[in-house]
Amino acid sequence: MHRRGVGLAAFDRQEQSNKSFANLSSALSQSQVDHLHSQLNQFRSALAHFASAHRDSIKNDPSFRHAFQQMCSSIGVDPLAGPRKGGWWAELFGLSDWQYELGVQIVDICVSTREGNGGMIEMSELLRLVTKLRGIDGNMITEDDIFQSIKTLQPLGAGYQVVDIGGRKMVRSVVKEMDEDQTAVLVLAREGGGRIVEDQLIQQKKWTRDRACNVLENMLLRDGLCWLDAQDEHSGRAYWLPSAMQWEF
Amino acid sequence: MTLSTQTTPSGFLLPSIHSAPPFFTEQPNPTTQAIATDHWIRLILTYARHRKLFSLKVEDAETSGNDWDEILKNERINRKMLPSHLSNILNAMVKKNVAVYEPPKQTHSVVLYWRTPEEWAEALHEWASSTGQLNTIMTYYDITDPPINSELTNIPILLLKKAIAVLTRLGKAQVIGIAEGEGVRFFAGLGNK
Repeated sequence: MHRRGVGLAAFDRQEQSNKSFANLSSALSQSQVDHLHSQLNQFRSALAHFASAHRDSIKNDPSFRHAFQQMCSSIGVDPLAGPRKGGWWAELFGLSDWQYELGVQIVDICVSTREGNGGMIEMSELLRLVTKLRGIDGNMITEDDIFQSIKTLQPLGAGYQVVDIGGRKMVRSVVKEMDEDQTAVLVLAREGGGRIVEDQLIQQKKWTRDRACNVLENMLLRDGLCWLDAQDEHSGRAYWLPSAMQWEF
Repeated sequence: MTLSTQTTPSGFLLPSIHSAPPFFTEQPNPTTQAIATDHWIRLILTYARHRKLFSLKVEDAETSGNDWDEILKNERINRKMLPSHLSNILNAMVKKNVAVYEPPKQTHSVVLYWRTPEEWAEALHEWASSTGQLNTIMTYYDITDPPINSELTNIPILLLKKAIAVLTRLGKAQVIGIAEGEGVRFFAGLGNK
């Protein structure tokens, strides 16, 4: 057993040592913070220098932009992070943080079309709408830019993801896993302009009627991925997948 | 097959969703159904405004050759809205306060609020002052059936009364009992020459 002071003086002593420890720790962390700050400043000015030197190329040349992004991610820098709104890019000589902006536009489009497509949008369609949203004089946007922007959306936990469905890229904006059967339905529906009926799945996929019916009804009732057409001339009950339909806005 | 917008013979631009076959079926998924209903309500109100239609009845989905054919049917894709579906949409519109059952105590026909009573009040006052009819006593008939057509021609009495009530609160109108029932007198009101 260690010796412990008795009486009131022991309380004072304990309090005093606590205080000294606290002082010491804050002094230590302060020096660490200062050190980090100076490192950060150094790095920032280097990055700023680079970005300002190549600003036009970053803005206008998709392949250069891609390379710059790769560089940023390989050295562990997120150009979107920073003390100011818009991150480093916004800070660098007013170089507008267009990726941040692009992300907002992607979310905008995904959310506004979600009710029509159930949260799945084809990459080419998204690209078309983004380009339209940005106006004709907007600089060229590539699939890669969208891909990058979607990656930056990941920390938001909104579930934005690029998925490959039947050889075509689609952007998913709902947290929902599509299983293999649903994917098969989507692929087949796309061939028919969005329409799919049980018989197609039975004939072309060799599914049983139960399986076809289950998959379609789940997509309809549970997942809201398709709409029902009860006036279909041929089968009386057809399912329509908005994400596989060709919309003209 | 691309779903595109279409212009009707009356010059109304139908949204592309109107070319989608499932749009004419009630959706069993409640979320999807809510979305579809919203689209229908928007479509009905904009069409009503375009054609200056004030009333919509469940029967409009049963019969042909009425004012609503252009939107309740799509002959290009051979789809039409069923009466039960329309009945549910009317119900949703009443709940959203963009329509009221008229006459009350039935659920077959509604008066549409493609303008709010406040907006109608403004239009009404504007019309009365621009046609030099301030400070004179007018019957409702003078307003709903004027010698020269106005925006207010054929406005349902129900809507007219609501608009007058709005103006009364603002001190811009007064309801007066006259021989034929009720009349109204409009005033310039405060801040309005």
